[in-house]
Amino acid sequence: MNRGVHRFALLLAGATFFLIIAGALVTSHDAGLATSDWPLSNGQFFPKMVGNLFWEHGHRMVATTVGFLTVCLTVYLYWEQICNWLYRRGLIRNAPAYRGEPRRWVRRLGAIALGTVIAQGLLGGLTVKLNLPLVVSAAHATLAQLFFCTTVSLAVFTSRSWLKNQPTIEEQGSLAVRYICIAAAATIFLQLIIGATLRHSATWDQPLPTDLLLTHIGGAIAVTLLLGTAAVLILLRHGSETFLTRPAKIALSLLAVQLFLGVAAYITRVASPNDPQPLNPMVGITVAHVACGALVFATTIVLALRTFKVFRASAAAFEFATAEHKLKLEL
Amino acid sequence: MFMKQTKVLLILTIVLSLLALASACGNKTENGPGGEATPAANAKKFAPKGNEGTISGAVAFTGTPPAPKKIATDADPACGQKNPNLSTEDNVVTNGKLANVLVYIKEGTLADGTKIGDWTFDTPATAVTLDQNGCHYKPHVSAVMVNQKLNITNSDPTQHNIHFTPKNNPDWNQSQPNGAAPLSHSFARSEILVPVKCNQHPWMKAYVAVLKHPLAAVSAEDGSFSIKGVPPGTYTVVAWHEGGAAGTEKTMQVTVPANGSVTADFAFGEAATASGNPSLQMMPALDVPMMVRH
Repeated sequence: MNRGVHRFALLLAGATFFLIIAGALVTSHDAGLATSDWPLSNGQFFPKMVGNLFWEHGHRMVATTVGFLTVCLTVYLYWEQICNWLYRRGLIRNAPAYRGEPRRWVRRLGAIALGTVIAQGLLGGLTVKLNLPLVVSAAHATLAQLFFCTTVSLAVFTSRSWLKNQPTIEEQGSLAVRYICIAAAATIFLQLIIGATLRHSATWDQPLPTDLLLTHIGGAIAVTLLLGTAAVLILLRHGSETFLTRPAKIALSLLAVQLFLGVAAYITRVASPNDPQPLNPMVGITVAHVACGALVFATTIVLALRTFKVFRASAAAFEFATAEHKLKLEL
Repeated sequence: MFMKQTKVLLILTIVLSLLALASACGNKTENGPGGEATPAANAKKFAPKGNEGTISGAVAFTGTPPAPKKIATDADPACGQKNPNLSTEDNVVTNGKLANVLVYIKEGTLADGTKIGDWTFDTPATAVTLDQNGCHYKPHVSAVMVNQKLNITNSDPTQHNIHFTPKNNPDWNQSQPNGAAPLSHSFARSEILVPVKCNQHPWMKAYVAVLKHPLAAVSAEDGSFSIKGVPPGTYTVVAWHEGGAAGTEKTMQVTVPANGSVTADFAFGEAATASGNPSLQMMPALDVPMMVRH
């Protein structure tokens, strides 16, 4: 195990979280088209960072940093393969001392992260060049959450707690917590798409579309039910397993904060069309709502991954499945 | 081999889907809310006969107008330095008179029985200027004809971007750093009204009416307006003022006599309606194709 890879993956996940905040600040300030250029801003690499160009160009700079970190992480994971390739062509004399990531599927996840961040950069450019069409802007915001989820997963898979031999736990009760966690993660992802569409449907000086707003509220109820059920079941059935209870407690706490931020964001956003420009309370609370949503998603992903690592089907469920299989064979 | 072909196909599909998406997003409806008279397919070209009249009047604001809101310019100090009292200009009221109201002929019948929409009008060769000055657009409301040139200048010591967000015409956004050469733009389809904004300075807003005829004017600071060169006939005149999602409209029927003028006074504000019957005056008329008030 290499602690460096894990630390680098954590750094990338942290930088991606910061990038999501930077992106949310662009949307809340309506700064996405502060320059009509892409990838340069007003034809410059470092333009004067005044007005809303501060947010838009700042977002691009953070995104460039995250892209560079993703390239570094992918090289880190594929180090052995890259060195072998160079060695075979006589470009280096010695075989590498560091062997890179031994698990092929983790290396591939790193490559997926790299592909995603490149696609995300191009999608960002497309939003500027097409003057922020709703579909492209919402796709850009959604892909950001997927990329964050990938970087968090990489951090989980390279962590000591994941690599350590965790004792296998038999699932108790009729409700399979693993699948509730997956359902919660999928519902949160759908909720993030609805939220992104809602945010990009109206700028700060326009009223929010009622149908999307009601859908988002419905999504919040669904997420609360699913994630709440998963976390409470884990706390009730496996209270002594900190490997599971820690992310469950964090997810529940973040969910409560997120619901509060959602109500606060709505109150400030309803008043914003009367303001001369986007004001700090609306911007701050809305961006916090977006950031907390990303954290709820990431924590739920961690929770789901950990449940799949340690849980196995209960003996009763195993016996039932075996009997059913036998019955099918006999028929 | 098979896997490689599948990958190529997949990439091609994604690229084509993105192109299709971009093209779909770029499409705009041909027949959006325009409001003004639409020339028929067999439209005739309008030539002044020398008996054209004038529609003039004033726009009042009844009740207490909302106070302008002070704008914080911390994000770009150059705006505060050039315009220390920067404030909103959605309700510019002086002595009970309202500025920045677009008054235009929506529809009507000429004295010879033809509809105004049956005629086409020459596009003025002169351009209308939209200046960014003191981190505000000047004029705040303007009117151009379809395909008439709109010159955009930046008189500020800071960078702007000019962003038209129309419904019937393509979206248009262009950066304009300080000291940059003027930009030029025109609209191919009529539209009441095209919002204009600066994404660098979110308080900066303006409206451009795109009409198929030159029969429009914008009220000045004293609320007055004058539409000259109107062929004799009976018309529906609309006064539009910003506010809310799509602005507020007041409508009035007027009859313009040959070589005469008619007064059409409008009122906005609390419980305001278009004022009384238009009054007629016989006087010589001047032929001025387009009015834009600063």
